[in-house]
Amino acid sequence: MPKVRTNRVKYPEGWELIEPTLRELDGKMREAELDPHDGKRKCEALWPIFKITHQKSRYVYDLYYRRSEISKELYEFCLDQGYGDRNLIAKWKKPGYERLCCLRCIQPRDHNFGTTCVCRVPKHLREEKVVECVHCGCGGCASGD
Amino acid sequence: MAHRLLKDPEADGWERSDFPIICESCLGDNPYVRMTRADFDKECKICTRPFTVFRWRPGRDARFKKTEVCQTCSKLKNVCQVCLLDLEYGLPVQVRDTALSINSNDAIPKSDVNREYFAEEHDRRARAGIDYESSYGKAQANDTILKLQRTTPYYKRNRAHVCSFFARGECTRGAECPYRHEMPITGELSQQNIKDRYYGVNDPVAMKLLNKAGDMPSLEPPEDESIKTLYVGGLDARISEQDLRDQFYAHGEIESIKMVPQRAIAFVTYTTREGAEKAAAELSNRLVIKGLRLKLMWGRPQAPKPELESSDEARQQAAMAHSGMLPRAVVSQQHNHLNPPGMQDQHPPMHYFNIPPPPQQERTFYPSMDPQRMGALVGSQDATPNGPAGSGENKSGLEKQLGQHYPYQSMPPPHLQYQQQYQQQHQQQHYPPYGYMPPVPPYQQYPPPYHTPVPPPQVVQSTQQYQHLVPPPMAAPAESKTSVPPPQGSRAPAGSMPSEPSSQGSEAPAGSKPSSPPSPRPGEPEESKPSGPLP
Repeated sequence: MPKVRTNRVKYPEGWELIEPTLRELDGKMREAELDPHDGKRKCEALWPIFKITHQKSRYVYDLYYRRSEISKELYEFCLDQGYGDRNLIAKWKKPGYERLCCLRCIQPRDHNFGTTCVCRVPKHLREEKVVECVHCGCGGCASGD
Repeated sequence: MAHRLLKDPEADGWERSDFPIICESCLGDNPYVRMTRADFDKECKICTRPFTVFRWRPGRDARFKKTEVCQTCSKLKNVCQVCLLDLEYGLPVQVRDTALSINSNDAIPKSDVNREYFAEEHDRRARAGIDYESSYGKAQANDTILKLQRTTPYYKRNRAHVCSFFARGECTRGAECPYRHEMPITGELSQQNIKDRYYGVNDPVAMKLLNKAGDMPSLEPPEDESIKTLYVGGLDARISEQDLRDQFYAHGEIESIKMVPQRAIAFVTYTTREGAEKAAAELSNRLVIKGLRLKLMWGRPQAPKPELESSDEARQQAAMAHSGMLPRAVVSQQHNHLNPPGMQDQHPPMHYFNIPPPPQQERTFYPSMDPQRMGALVGSQDATPNGPAGSGENKSGLEKQLGQHYPYQSMPPPHLQYQQQYQQQHQQQHYPPYGYMPPVPPYQQYPPPYHTPVPPPQVVQSTQQYQHLVPPPMAAPAESKTSVPPPQGSRAPAGSMPSEPSSQGSEAPAGSKPSSPPSPRPGEPEESKPSGPLP
């Protein structure tokens, strides 16, 4: 009886072009996951994870929507394989959210007064000029900045 | 018991409140403060019972604050739930209790169970509407409290805490660090703890305040018996002359009040020395008007400057140094002495040390501010009424401006002597013009021949601000205008100031407002004025 191959992933065309970058980002993510968080503040522990997730999603998003260098098929494939966050990318397509750092920062239920994170406030409206948001360490992701 | 607990949600005796009891400083300056409330979030730091914690940010540069003690404890001492300072005076409990001779300590038990029981009893009575025997708010604020209490909120208290990492030299957050990067202040005053502050014992800050209250000196009346003027510092725009009058009139008859808004000071002159002394004794350290604590000191007359008497140049410089900052009363007084030969020693203007160098903020002069430019025929009588008597705020500026040009609109007085007599006669009714008036006393340097070639009257009408470019003879006769409306009608023209007569002569022309060299007045050579008439 021939062995049934369950891992039959069919890589779309062009995958080999973007694969090294995605592998590299995956490696960085693994590193960040294994990084000890001694000496970090409690909220700081997840900041690198959020940052690399953002990078990966941004890479895929840019390739398809900005530079139009990959096919729709490959783009869908990347999202299906978990190389990008579909929901985050969905936000990026909306005006005002072009540079959104993470989804938690726009989640009003996560905030005391039903608002968004401080990193969503444009720099010129902000009282503190330098901030690090508590969710993902973002220093400011308002679209106008 | 259990069923009663279930029936009555209040049966646990825990605090449920809708709003904190806090002082103004802790509430912050932002009228749109957002608070979070958490029921039974923390235990009271005094009675250790759970209470409703409020948390908010009292302003933009402030840290988040939260209530620290429960409302029962707060009401027992009439203190803010956050800072534990008295709600009415903003003073530590120990200071307030000492000053008012209240001893509220034995009432509150210290041991755990008793304390809790006491608090519950207190709550129960308060709920039943029995007012507990509280003397707070009924006791009259006495001297010590009046001296020490804050009159305005002290928001500096709300700043972020000092970064402990920075103090150890290992803060890695840099600009992102929300804590203050300053070295912590050490010393006895930092050794406070919340319980001592609440009970009002061993509070170093309170000790310091009480010592300070004891040390506050009363105002020593100066030896010079002629000084009847008090200096009031720290004014601002909200305080009017009437406010000052309301405060000061109770201690004696007030002769005059001079306000110098640019310097935020005022001078209150009494008619009698006794009144001034009484006011100084009563009001020193506790003069508070509209929530503003004002500084009260004795006015000091300026020492005469003999060397200024000698040279006119020096006199000019002194005039320039002073003009612009003198109160208008002083200015008008100085102008009063329209080079009458003998008058200068009789009406000394006020000279205070406090008068600063000129502010260099003279208003820009626009041609439209000159009525003659617009074709107005300015005679000697009705020239100024239109100009300076305008809206009050512009008044001084206009006066200055107009005053600068009047000297050049040389009048056609054929006989100087006659005019001086005329001026002396009208001294009481008409104020002299605001301009540089070189004294024409016996030692006058300008020979009369310079006055005779003064242009005929039609020059007066055609004079413009560029008039001063005409040759020196024009500039010389400073005593051009005989009548300028009194800048402030009711002021006593002279003699109201306690000061040395000798110093007056040196500064008599000080009001001439040559003050604004930097002001971009079209082509006015400031130096030409003094130098022009010189032979």
